Amino acid sequence: MDLLSVQGLCKQYEQFSLQDVSFTVRPGEIMGFIGRNGAGKTTTLKSLLNFVHPDCGEISFFGLPFAQNEQAIKQRIGFVSGGVDYYILKKLRTIADVTRAFYPTWDETVYRHFLQTFQLNDQKTPSQLSAGMKVKFNLALALSHHAELLILDEPTSGLDPVSRDDLLDVFLALAREGVSILFSTHITSDLDRCADRITYIRHGKILASDDMTAFVGAYRALELTEDQLTQAVREKVIGLKPAKHGYTAIAYADDAERLGLPVKPADLETIMVHVEKEDIV
Amino acid sequence: MKQLLKKEFRLAMHPTNYLFLLLSAMLVIPNYPYYVIFFYTALGLFFLCLNARETHDIPYTMVLPVRKRELVKARILFAVAIELSQFVVAIPFAILRQNLNIPGNQVGMDANLALFGLSLLMMGLFNLTFFPVFYGNPNQVGKAFIGGSTVVFFYIVVAEAMDHAVPFFRDQLDTPDPQFFMPKLFIVIGGAIGFALCNMLAYKLSAARFEKLDL
Repeated sequence: MDLLSVQGLCKQYEQFSLQDVSFTVRPGEIMGFIGRNGAGKTTTLKSLLNFVHPDCGEISFFGLPFAQNEQAIKQRIGFVSGGVDYYILKKLRTIADVTRAFYPTWDETVYRHFLQTFQLNDQKTPSQLSAGMKVKFNLALALSHHAELLILDEPTSGLDPVSRDDLLDVFLALAREGVSILFSTHITSDLDRCADRITYIRHGKILASDDMTAFVGAYRALELTEDQLTQAVREKVIGLKPAKHGYTAIAYADDAERLGLPVKPADLETIMVHVEKEDIV
Repeated sequence: MKQLLKKEFRLAMHPTNYLFLLLSAMLVIPNYPYYVIFFYTALGLFFLCLNARETHDIPYTMVLPVRKRELVKARILFAVAIELSQFVVAIPFAILRQNLNIPGNQVGMDANLALFGLSLLMMGLFNLTFFPVFYGNPNQVGKAFIGGSTVVFFYIVVAEAMDHAVPFFRDQLDTPDPQFFMPKLFIVIGGAIGFALCNMLAYKLSAARFEKLDL
């Protein structure tokens, strides 16, 4: 059974729309949710938790429709939208005291464990924490009620590389313990490290939702000189753009092979940068 | 709901909510438009909601295992608790004012039972105006307060004018307790019923508007 199933989600705004967004998150996997700023990642995640009302579509967690089971579902998930940015002048201890009262499954031992692991002093206030520590406190709250699914909205944005790496270690450890993670980000290198599957949203539409290896394996990266840029090549490559010495592009793996040019495996960033350059859907 | 009220008390409550309760002591000022004292509590509710906006209370609470409309119910119940607390705190000062052996309030209504009844209705009307506007768009808390305080302003003007112009108000309600006890008691009961009805309607309207809101 899928932990999260989103089917045919749509939402119309004046200048933006989500169209037929569908994807699933399976038990124990890290699903990377990628797309550039404004692609619809946050609107999609907000729709999952009723922050935003979709115009159509079905959302279910653990096989239960969200609308009729909001409270029960929220007991089993954790939503972390960046760092703790609420009640920034209250002590962490006070915030945790209030939060724990909402969760019958709250495990104080687990909470203490994460405070220690993340080196968080609960006598401090959020305003006294670094950006990375703010995310970690939010994670500690989400994990202390044994959330089975974590929904993370750009948790690593604005963090330095070391803090980001620390957090990715935490995500990987959680996934090993069976926690599923839906991880929205535009920092694709984070997902290269930890994602099992990728859902790619572009202009409010899902471009792909696939296994990570299959997704990146479908493309090849090309570095081209002016001489190599024949009409046949131009027709097959995606997102051709100038680089320091010549041009870069990606191509579908089959097309790249047929072109007979030197290719490299494509990573998520390369795919995303070039796909966004191309006017394709 | 108990947990949400605890959250209101421990996280959301603004210091002015305590401070303005103490302004009930202004009932011992010999001549003053006493309705204004209760308006300070309304001002405190504005600070409570303004503070909630600035501290991102709604996004925090929305993630908790509660339904969206329960946020609204908890906030309105908390506001009602603060307002009723002020009435409780005000009672000893009203009794003290009546025993100071000085002439009755020359500005308007005396500090008596009728003042409490009419103030209950006034606070109910404030809540009925303020909360539906606030929950229609919590970012426009100022707009909600302008609406609520405008209603209170006109209510005070009309109530104090009636105190001078309408014989029933002037001769029976604006008198020291326990004179004309029964008419005043009816005003208190009517005010309490009005307060309850206004709050129920405020919740219905606010919850309906908040449910539709995209955050």
